[in-house]
Amino acid sequence: MKKYLLLSSLFFLFTASVSLPAQDLVFQTFKDTRVINSHSVETLPKRKLDIRIGHRFGDLAGDRGGTQTFFGLENASDVLIGGEYGFTDRLTAGIYRAKGAGSLASGTPGLRQLLNLIGKYRILHQKEDGSMPISLTVLGVATMSTAKRIETNPDIINNFPEFSHRLAYAGQLLIAHKFSDGFSLQIIPSYVHRNLVAFEDDNGIFSMGFASRIQISKVFGLIVDGTFPFSEMRTAANGFHPAIGVGLEFETGGHVFQINFTNATAIMETDYIPYTTSDWLEGEFRLGFTVSRTFNL
Amino acid sequence: MNKKTTTAIIAVTFLFSMAFVLPPVFIVDEEVPVTEVLQQLGDEAPAHQVNTDIPGVSAERGYNIVHTGFAQKPKGGKTKIQSKHFVCTSCHNVQRENPDLSQYDPQARLLYAKENGLPFLQGTTLYGAVNRTTFYNGDYEQKYGDLVKPARNNLREAIQLCAIECSQGRRLKDWELESVLAYLWTIQLKMGDLSLSAADYEAINSAINKDAEKAQAIKKIKAAYLSGSPATFVKPPEDRKLGYPQIVGDPTNGQLIYELSCLHCHEKGRYAFFKLDDSKYSFNYLEKHLARYTRYSLYQVARYGTSPMNLKRTYMPNYTLEKMSHQQLEDLRAYIEQEAKK
Repeated sequence: MKKYLLLSSLFFLFTASVSLPAQDLVFQTFKDTRVINSHSVETLPKRKLDIRIGHRFGDLAGDRGGTQTFFGLENASDVLIGGEYGFTDRLTAGIYRAKGAGSLASGTPGLRQLLNLIGKYRILHQKEDGSMPISLTVLGVATMSTAKRIETNPDIINNFPEFSHRLAYAGQLLIAHKFSDGFSLQIIPSYVHRNLVAFEDDNGIFSMGFASRIQISKVFGLIVDGTFPFSEMRTAANGFHPAIGVGLEFETGGHVFQINFTNATAIMETDYIPYTTSDWLEGEFRLGFTVSRTFNL
Repeated sequence: MNKKTTTAIIAVTFLFSMAFVLPPVFIVDEEVPVTEVLQQLGDEAPAHQVNTDIPGVSAERGYNIVHTGFAQKPKGGKTKIQSKHFVCTSCHNVQRENPDLSQYDPQARLLYAKENGLPFLQGTTLYGAVNRTTFYNGDYEQKYGDLVKPARNNLREAIQLCAIECSQGRRLKDWELESVLAYLWTIQLKMGDLSLSAADYEAINSAINKDAEKAQAIKKIKAAYLSGSPATFVKPPEDRKLGYPQIVGDPTNGQLIYELSCLHCHEKGRYAFFKLDDSKYSFNYLEKHLARYTRYSLYQVARYGTSPMNLKRTYMPNYTLEKMSHQQLEDLRAYIEQEAKK
């Protein structure tokens, strides 16, 4: 029964997506396809290529920050580079390379040297007349670690007994509403699956996220997002913390530049959702930035 | 056979044979293309007749190139996009856009655009392009230099210049160029587009059969539309804080310009990377940059446009004085200031 319900829901969403007229759609619920850690509902317009570089420095304060690391600027916790392309106004796909930065509270690292494929499809688009109150985009992320296999230590993830152990996936529904020209809100139910996890960890993790944008001027926007995993293991007592980010976004024609502060060390969903162990309250947050440049192709 | 029957047969035979001997009667009405009338009057045929000997030439393919940048290749498959940045209709309408084709009046053009649901654009409409004999007129030489020389009196060269420089795209192949021409011929001027009186029609119809009146009729027809679009490049006001002197802007007219001109390209990033909308953020931004000497100044971009840059070839063409008057620019300013103050 559940299967039929799921299939009929997917069918409804698909038919709704293809039957929507193009006019009177709410434009730019978010200015960019990303908020801070999270994706936004936005997809690229058709025939646009977005080249993107993301960077997260080391802890700004806390034990590993402060003056000895020049407030984290001398460390790079994660670096992402890649691009995505708008095949249609609804469908965006891309490929990214990320260093990988998440780790368990014990310090055991997660996957490293990551090749990430992303696919986004905009199913629903909020309409100005209110007949469609939300925008809905589905996001899929597939991550493969290209790290060298360490055969001698079966206790670490990089032991990779099988090829499939290099893989992790994330699926998200991005549901957003633009309340006004100055305020947008998004919720993000997610599921992350890692094929190989540490002993007693969960392979599959559900989470709920939120994201918001407050427009300050035509160019500047204040952005914030957070992701809260639902897992008995992922509690503050066990050393896990929700990934929360705040940032400032600048948009000029064709460029988006963002500076942010977040406790997440990693950038990709398959990495920061299961592996955020830094605590804002301990000063374990970092400066990050993202530069995006869009080209006509 | 009686006498009456014989007479009737002779009369019918005479009339039937006359149909082959006498030339068909050519009657000029509002639906007849202007070029056809001119040729009936003995005027020289335009040089840009379509070369249909080239395989694959079709008005439908031309329509697709003009409107979408793509067409189906003669041997199948889709062409490479003509320009990644613009289509012809980004800057040119394909409908009539002036109430009186014999003169340029930017305000009359704006009101005509409003009444007919058209955008108010920098480029001259492609409607009637085949009826013109000069292109890239006036000050366009300042912008494109010697590139305008082959295009000035040659529509094919003008189309190629537009394809490469104006749209920052690729040169059209022969069959594509001829297809575009074929499409443009489908939107040539008709006699009804010209502001001619019943007496004018009578005179033209009379001249078709009288050599002595033909030259006069040709002159009358050609006086009813412009053979080219005049283009005068003008500067922003000397003092951008004060604007053009002695002009008081009308925000209502300015709103029309904002909606039919600015938003045509900038709304939802249709053609421009720099996005504009009806929000206060857009108006505040434009007002703040009005008096500056940057590409975000309304005066700057309206009068000088912007230039294509490496990796960012999309640019904004300038408005000539014939396409936007100083008064209209002040109207636009007044609207922006009014909305920013709300």
